[in-house]
This record gives sequence, structure tokens and C-alpha cells, in this order.
Amino acid sequence: MSNRKKISFGKAVFALFCWFYAAISIYPVIWLLFYSFKNNSEIFVTNPFGIPTTLHVENYAKAWSQYNVPMYFLNSLIVSVATVVLTIAFALLFSYATSRMRFKGRFIMTIYLSLGMFIPVQAILIPVAKTVNSLGLDTTRWGLILVYTAINLSFATLVYYGSLKGLPVELEEAACIDGANIVTCFLKIIVPLVKPATATLVIYIFLNAWNEFILANVLVVKDELKTLPLGILFLQGAFTTDWGAMGATMVIASLPTILLYVIFSKKVEDAMTIGGAVKG
Amino acid sequence: MKKFYSNKLAIFFFTLPALLVFSVMVFYPITQVFVKSFYDWNGLGSGTFIGFENYVKLFKDTVFKLSNKNALIFSLFITIFQITLATVFSLVVSDKRTKGRNILRVSYFIPVVLSVTVVCQLWLAILNSDSGLLNQLFKAVGLDYQQNWLSDRNHAIYVIAFVNAWQWMGYQFALMMAGIKAIPNDYYEAAKIDGASSFMAHRKVTIPLLKETYKICLTISLTGGVKAFTEMFIMTKGGPGNATHTLTYLMYKAAFREFRYGYGMASASILVLQCIAIILIINWLFRDKEKKEGK
Repeated sequence: MSNRKKISFGKAVFALFCWFYAAISIYPVIWLLFYSFKNNSEIFVTNPFGIPTTLHVENYAKAWSQYNVPMYFLNSLIVSVATVVLTIAFALLFSYATSRMRFKGRFIMTIYLSLGMFIPVQAILIPVAKTVNSLGLDTTRWGLILVYTAINLSFATLVYYGSLKGLPVELEEAACIDGANIVTCFLKIIVPLVKPATATLVIYIFLNAWNEFILANVLVVKDELKTLPLGILFLQGAFTTDWGAMGATMVIASLPTILLYVIFSKKVEDAMTIGGAVKG
Repeated sequence: MKKFYSNKLAIFFFTLPALLVFSVMVFYPITQVFVKSFYDWNGLGSGTFIGFENYVKLFKDTVFKLSNKNALIFSLFITIFQITLATVFSLVVSDKRTKGRNILRVSYFIPVVLSVTVVCQLWLAILNSDSGLLNQLFKAVGLDYQQNWLSDRNHAIYVIAFVNAWQWMGYQFALMMAGIKAIPNDYYEAAKIDGASSFMAHRKVTIPLLKETYKICLTISLTGGVKAFTEMFIMTKGGPGNATHTLTYLMYKAAFREFRYGYGMASASILVLQCIAIILIINWLFRDKEKKEGK
């Protein structure tokens, strides 16, 4: 009896600790949401911790109309979506060729592209900036999009390669006998079959592109091409004292990824961890 | 069928886009890192070849030494913090008897989906010396512990490491959740029949079977120190003084602030080598144990 008591006491302490850390993990985010609806006196003096007493929606209006948030938001959206589309297309085409078709050098090609897994983006920061600049891409969105595509390709081709190797060839054989050419076969048979892998990759690449900072920081030279992470940094420098509107800006920037997570939580966790598992 | 799969034109157009983008944006740059690290180069023209001079200077640079020390502190801090907590939380949350598992899971993972910029700004607000959440909290409970969290030379690196560990703990947690899910239930049944307590079952069954997961977690968190940049860039600008410099920050500053591109490239190549070394050491450590167990 006393033994059982000891165990349940230990369990209670454990459970308490788990909830305590959960609070540390989530409360800062909730606090951000709270203060994005408060005015300065409430944030600093009257009510720093709790639920806002009156909802200062004007913080959001201000962020949206005065802080260029729509522009940053649109830039992030264009860059992220374009990165997803290009990476998916290039990776699937490449993996289809290396996993199904017969030609010399396909093994070397596969190894070559997977080298990217071992290269941290930090390491290529300087030469990539130089390359993008000398190609004249630094004044367009293409610089960022193509670099993001390149750094995601290794992982995406690996995922598609694995998924294609697990698919039977019979369907393609049947299509071939029916007289379909390789492009039709690719579009009508392969693309629908690898949908689960595509869903994982879309989430992974979108989240990474939306939140990416290090490369964007050196590759984007024009103000009007800045993505949200850069925009937030710039705004923080310019409007240090207006906490409410800054909070609103950060909430707007985080909303798409948080919503994505809330709606597809299991799928997002899987996608993110597959990324880590292959990269490790 | 053979003809179908050896369509030369299709092979060319299927592989070209990926190869081209990867070669121009990743492979060529990484070769440039190693080549230009032997040059005195200000970013314009092609520079002059100076052999190992950049490396010699780098190894004499006190900031380089400090950066390595910081990388070590940063890596060890986040590794211990994340792996310990992630292990405990993943074991608790994957236990079906735990109440509120989903709330816990979501709470741990939410910071992962935030942008690093948002996380850094958020923690700057929390740590703000005048009106930050943390100092207000100390004031509210009557503790005289308020301070300027990021201005202490010796402690700033720990505060920065904490912010990183806070954001990414959920990532390691999710990795471990996935690892635990892959362990067949029979193993636990067997342990239960043998009379093992759940603590013993985890120590003897779950944790050894998570070896691959631990390998991934260690690789990510140990290379994290070498690669750490954004937190320093946003929260401390590498300061106070040089107190929170890392190799990546040193590299960034050399190239984009001081226009010493060759020197920056030398730092970058050391960065790559350190990451590869860490990966090799971890793989070697984990492989060695496998062999011993086999005997």
C-alpha cells in the first residue's frame, strides 16, 4: 500500500512538472496574443499578464495600414508558394528519372544531389549572396525562390525516391502498352500516386520558407521585396515603443503557420520530423 | 517498356532543372567557400591568392576562440535541456493513461512553427529590463531578482541558448514521439509479464530502442552551436562586446560588415568541417556500441 502511494506521489510530481513546462512553452505565445490587443499602459502597468480588458483592435488596423504588413505578407506568400511549387516539380521529375529510367550516371546524379543534406545554409551564405548578385537576381524575388528551392531539393528528391521505389511498375507498364508516352504516364499515374509524399513535402517546405531568416537577410536588398521575418525586424527597429501594434504584426506573421499546425497538427509534426530524420 | 524508360529526351528534361538549380545555388557556392578561403578578397574582382594566411589569422583571432567556446556552451546547453525534457515529456505524453495529452503535445510543439524572428522579438520583450514580462513577474511576487538579462558578459550566451532551446525542444519531443510510436507494443507486454515497473520498462526497453532517434537529436543539437546565428544577430548583435559571437556570426560580420570575404570564407569552411566532424563522431560513437552489443 505504501509502495503504491509512493508511486502515485512520484507520478503526481511528474505530471505537475509536465504541466509546468507546458505553461512555460505556451504562455509566451499567449502573452503575445494578449498584448497585441492592449495599449501601452495596460502592457506595462495595469495588466501585464492577463487577458486584455478592452480589445484594442486598432493595433491590428494600425499594423495593417501603417506598417506595410500586407506587402511583407504578400512577399512571404509569393516566395513560399513559388518555392513549394518549384521544389516539388523539380524533385519529382528528377526522382522519377533516377528511380525508373535507365541511363548511365543516374547513381552519381543521385549521390550528387543528396550532398546538399550535409551542407548547412550558414556555410554557403557568402558565396550564395555573391552568385545571386552576379546573376542579377538580387533585385527580384527569383533570387530567394531559387536558393530556397536548391536547399530543399536534396531532401525532397530523397523522399520522392523512397516513395517511388515502393510503387509497383505494373500500372506504368499497362499505360505503356496502351500507347501512353512518358509525359502522360508521369502526369496521369505518378503524380496522383505520390500524393502522400507530396503532402508531407508541401507542409515541410512551406513552413521552412515562410519562417526562413538567415538567407533572406542577405539575399533581399530591396525594401519592397522583404518577407515577413525581415519586415518584423525592420519594424521593431523603427517603432520600438509601440508594443501593441508590434505584437499585432507578429501575430499576423505567425497566424498562417499556427493555423496550419492547428488544422493538420499530426501531419505537420510528421512532416517536420521526417525532415529532421533524413537530415540527421 | 525498355524504350519507354530510356527516352533520352525525357531523361534530359526530367533531370536538368534540379541539377541546374542545385549546381548553381548550392554546389558552386560550396566550392567557392573552399577556394576563396585561400584568397585575400574584398568581394570585388577576384582577389589575390595568399595560401593559408586567412586560416593562420583565424586561429590567432581571440574572437574565433571565444566563438568556439560559445559554440560549445550553446551546444551543450541546448543538448542537455532539450534531450532531457524531450525524453521525459515524450514518455509521459505517449502513455495513453496521461490526462490532457493533446494539450501537452500542442503546447510543447507550438514554438516550433513560429518564425525565429518572432521568437527572438518575443523573448526580447519578455527579457526587457524595464518593462519585460520576466522582471515584472519577479516584481509581482516580490523577488528582488530583476536584472538586465542580456547585458551580462558571462551569462548572455546562456540566455540566448535558452531561447533557442525553448523554441526547439518541441522538435526533439516530436522526433521522440515518432520513435516511441514505432516500438511494437509486444515489447512492453513482455516487460510487464516479467514484472518490470513502467520506469524500468522505459529504461530497459524504450530508451535503448530509441537509439536512432537519439542519434538524430544529438546531431541536430550539437551542430546547433556552430550554426547558431539568428538569436545573436537579433537579440545581442554578438555582444556585449564579443561575448555572444559564434562562428557563423563571425563569418557574417567579416563578410558583410567588414568586407573581408576571404576571411569569412575561411570561417565558413571551418564551420563545414566542424559540422562534418560532429556528424562523423556521433555516427562512430553509436556504431561502436552496436558492435560491442553484438559480441
